[in-house]
Amino acid sequence: MTQTPSRIGEVVLATEDLRKHYPLTQGIVFKKQVGAVRAVDGVNIQLHRGETLGVVGESGCGKSTLARLLVGLETPTEGKIMLKDRDLSTVSARDMRKVRRNIQMVMQDPYTSLNPRMTVGDIIGEPFDIHPEVVPKKGRTARVRELIDLVGLNADHINRYPHQFSGGQRQRIGIARSLALNPEIIVCDEPVSALDVSIQAQVVNLLEKLQNELGLAYIFIAHDLSVVRHIADRVAVMYLGKIVETGVEDDIYEHTTHPYSQALLSAVPVPDPTLRERRDHIILEGDVPSPANPPSGCRFRTRCWKAQEICATEEPALIDRPGSDHPSACHFAEERHVVGATT
Amino acid sequence: MTTDTPVKSESTARFLTQLDMSAPPLEVRDLHVEFRTTSGRAHAVNGMNFVLHQGQTRAILGESGSGKSVTAQAIMGILDSPPAEITKGEILYRGVDLLKLSDEDRRRVRANHIAMIFQDALSALNPVFTVGFQLGELFRKHRGMSRQAAKARAVELLDLVRIPAAKDRINDFPHQFSGGMRQRVMIAMALALEPEILIADEPTTALDVTVQAQVMGLLAELQSERNMSLILITHDMGVVADVADEISVMYAGRVVEDAPVRDIYARPAHPYTKALLESIPRVDMKGQDLAVIKGLPPVLTNIPPGCAFHPRCRFAQDNCKVPPEPPHYDVDVDRVAACHYWREVIES
Repeated sequence: MTQTPSRIGEVVLATEDLRKHYPLTQGIVFKKQVGAVRAVDGVNIQLHRGETLGVVGESGCGKSTLARLLVGLETPTEGKIMLKDRDLSTVSARDMRKVRRNIQMVMQDPYTSLNPRMTVGDIIGEPFDIHPEVVPKKGRTARVRELIDLVGLNADHINRYPHQFSGGQRQRIGIARSLALNPEIIVCDEPVSALDVSIQAQVVNLLEKLQNELGLAYIFIAHDLSVVRHIADRVAVMYLGKIVETGVEDDIYEHTTHPYSQALLSAVPVPDPTLRERRDHIILEGDVPSPANPPSGCRFRTRCWKAQEICATEEPALIDRPGSDHPSACHFAEERHVVGATT
Repeated sequence: MTTDTPVKSESTARFLTQLDMSAPPLEVRDLHVEFRTTSGRAHAVNGMNFVLHQGQTRAILGESGSGKSVTAQAIMGILDSPPAEITKGEILYRGVDLLKLSDEDRRRVRANHIAMIFQDALSALNPVFTVGFQLGELFRKHRGMSRQAAKARAVELLDLVRIPAAKDRINDFPHQFSGGMRQRVMIAMALALEPEILIADEPTTALDVTVQAQVMGLLAELQSERNMSLILITHDMGVVADVADEISVMYAGRVVEDAPVRDIYARPAHPYTKALLESIPRVDMKGQDLAVIKGLPPVLTNIPPGCAFHPRCRFAQDNCKVPPEPPHYDVDVDRVAACHYWREVIES
C-alpha cells in the first residue's frame, strides 16, 4: 500500500492483514462452529508518529473491533499488529505489559467507562497500580494532579466522584487516564459522539492541544465525518470489516473515488440551508449486509449503483486506481465531488 | 389510504365542534414546566412560545437539558406528573387549549390528531409483541376494527414506509428489525391514524448517516403527501438546515431565537445561536482551534438571573446579569431574538 505520511515520522503502529472472526456455534453440549462473523477481515493500516488516522464507517463495519484489537482487548484471529518493529503476537506475556503501556484508549461513553465508586484521583491513578514502575509511589498524587491540570480540570477536584462532573468533564477524565502511562499512541473510539455540540468542540481542541504538546499519534474512530475531517491527517473508510478507501484527508473529502465513500459523504447533512437544493444526495438502498455472510466479490455491490458482473466474482483490491492518487477498492473507481461534510 | 369512521362518543363530537380550522395547527403560549426534585424545583421550560403553521416544519434546536423534549412531552400530554408540573401556559390545537381537556379527550387527540416519534425505537416498541400486533392495536382500539382487518391495515402501513416484504415481516418482533427499519415502524405507527401534526423527537440520532438520510427523506415525502405539520426536535444543525422551515433555538428552557431557517444560518441574532454555528468544524478552520462556548449549560434548579446565557456570553453587559430576562425583540417581521444586543450580534 502506498501512503504518503502527511507529517514526517516513522511508523509507530501497523497492521498486516488483520482479521477478527467471531465463531457462530450451534448446539449446547456438542458445540460446533457453523460460521463466523467477520468483524474485521483483512485490514492494513499504518500510523506514523504524531499523526491522526481517522477511521470512519457505519455501525457494524468493524471500526470498534479494530480499536479493541489494537489495544489488546481482543486477540486477532489472523494477521499481525506491529508496534514499531515488534510483532505483538510473538511478545511474551511479561513483555506484553510493558508494550501495552505505549498504546492506550479513550472510550466512547464517559458515563459508563468511569467506575462510579472510585474518586477521580483513583481512576486516573489506577494505571500506576498495574505499572508501578512508571511513577514511584510517592510521586503518584503529584502526577495525577498534573494530569488533571493537563486536561483542563481543577486539580483540587481530585477526591470527587464521576457523577459530580458533566459529560465533557468526564471525557476529560477518561483522556487523563489514557495519558497516565505516557503512551505514544491513543486509540479514541467515538470520543465525542456522546457529547453536546458546544462541548464536542472543547474536547476536540483538547485532543489537538495534547497531540501538539506530547507528540501523540491518534487512531480517531468516529461516525461524524465533519469532526474527523477537522482532526485527521489521513482517513480510512471501512465497510463490512474492510477498508474500502484510504488517503490523506483531502483525498477522501474532495477527491473521493469509492462509491461507498461518496454515498457516506453525501448523506451528511450540511449546516447551510442555501445548499439544500444544490446537494447531490446519494440515497443507499437497504441496510449493511450481515458480516456473517458477506456478499461475494465486492462487499458493497449489493447496494452499489455501479455494480457489474465482475464485482460479484472478483474482489477489488485496495490499490491506486487510474485518474486518482490514493488507494480505492473499487473496479470502477471514479472521482466525484459530493457536497457533503466538505463545506 | 381509505378512511374509516372513527368510533365517536358524545364528548368527541363536542370536541370536534370546538376546533377552529382557520387557527394554526398548533400554538404554544408561555409554557412553563417545573420538576420537583430533591435539590429544589428544576425549571425545565420557562416561557416557551411558538406557532406551527400548516404543512410546515418547525425545528426545535437545543442541547441536552434545554427543555426541548419536555416541551414535546407537554404537547403530547405524556409528562409524568408528579414530578413534572405545568405551572403556566397554553397549548392550543386549532384554537382549543389541550391543557383544559379531559383525560379521555386528550387521549383521542394524541392518537388521531397529534402523533409522536421517539428517539430510541427499540425501547419505544414493546419487545414481547409482534410489530403487526402493535400496529394493529391502534386500529383495534381507536377504530374498533377486527383483528384481521387491523392486521391488513398494518401491512399497508409497513408498505407505506417501504419495509420490503411487509407481509412476511408483520409477525416479526422488534428485535428482528435493524435500527433504520425499527424507526420506520415507529413512523408507520405514528402515521397510522393520519394525524395532522407529527412530533419527531431526535428521530435519527441513533442512526447512521446513510440510514438517517433514508429516514429523513421518507419523512419529508410523507409530510408533503399528507400536508402534515412537523415538529422536529434535534441538536443537529445539519439536519435542521436540510429540512426545517422555521427554527426555535432553546437555551435553559426558553426560546432565545425564533427565525426562518435561511436567516438564522446567514445572520444569527442571538449570541448562543452564533456560538453554536461557529462550533461546527469547517474546512477553512482545519488546523485551528474550534470555537468553543466557554463554561457549561446552567443547572436547571439554579438558572442565572437575567439572561440565562450571560455567564457564557461574550456580548454580555451589566444589564444582562440582572432580572428581568431579555424580552423577545423583533429582529424582523418573522423573527425574534431574546438578546438586548441583537443588533451587535447580527452585525459582528
